[in-house]
Amino acid sequence: MNIEPGHELPDLIKHPTTRQLVQYAGAQGDFYEIHYDQEFARSVGLPGVILHGLLKAAFLGQLVTDWLGERGTLKSFEVSYRGIDVPGRPYRCRGRVTSVVGGRAELEVWGEDPEGNRTTVGTAVVELTA
Amino acid sequence: MSAAPPVIDRLRARIGTPGPPTTAVVEAGHLKAFAEAIGDSYPRWLTEAPPTFLVALAPVTAHLPEAEEYGKGWLNGGNRFEYLEPVKVGDAITAIGKLVDVYEKTGSSGNLLFIIFETEYFNRHGRTVARLRGTAIRR
Repeated sequence: MNIEPGHELPDLIKHPTTRQLVQYAGAQGDFYEIHYDQEFARSVGLPGVILHGLLKAAFLGQLVTDWLGERGTLKSFEVSYRGIDVPGRPYRCRGRVTSVVGGRAELEVWGEDPEGNRTTVGTAVVELTA
Repeated sequence: MSAAPPVIDRLRARIGTPGPPTTAVVEAGHLKAFAEAIGDSYPRWLTEAPPTFLVALAPVTAHLPEAEEYGKGWLNGGNRFEYLEPVKVGDAITAIGKLVDVYEKTGSSGNLLFIIFETEYFNRHGRTVARLRGTAIRR
């Protein structure tokens, strides 16, 4: 498969649940209550528990590494969280190659909620194995 | 008794001062639990750290109790990872974090405090394996 500008990565659709948020809180060691305590989350003005930004980053990391496989190495990865996401709704991770220069490819990646809002946006740079 | 200086000034005074180093060994069980938690079954992650694993190895933000005087909750604004060497099971990784910027912005729903931090991760040979930059927001 050629890696060239405009190439779209296969979508990765995740189905986060409250159970996954608890599992992730434990695995990362982030016990901020907005990720598992509905009452606490509402007390700070949220609609209920929300996904960890870093969990959405992990989803987008998987989008890139699933696509890249053994063809190269991830060199940098940057995400910006633009909106909140709640469990029980599918999270669609998408990406496309924006440039390929000298064995390095730059990608744009983003995560969408079911309405198509890009609640996480970012970029990644991969070094392709010659 | 004089009032304490504003939170933003107290945080700004800490910009650039590295926090205490923390060292942790990348354990197979932790890699497995992390990969399961993010739902990524790529077999390589049983022996090598997936892209965001380092955040699970050391605290990603300096402990900033004074920041909690501002607003009522935390939000994560963004993260940037830079990878220099792969991190594998059994590696002892040392993390050193510091504040790099603190500033206030007026948003549509009130004031926000932005706290930018950087963490550098070293292996046992003292080589940098990765860097993380994060934006924490108090709202």
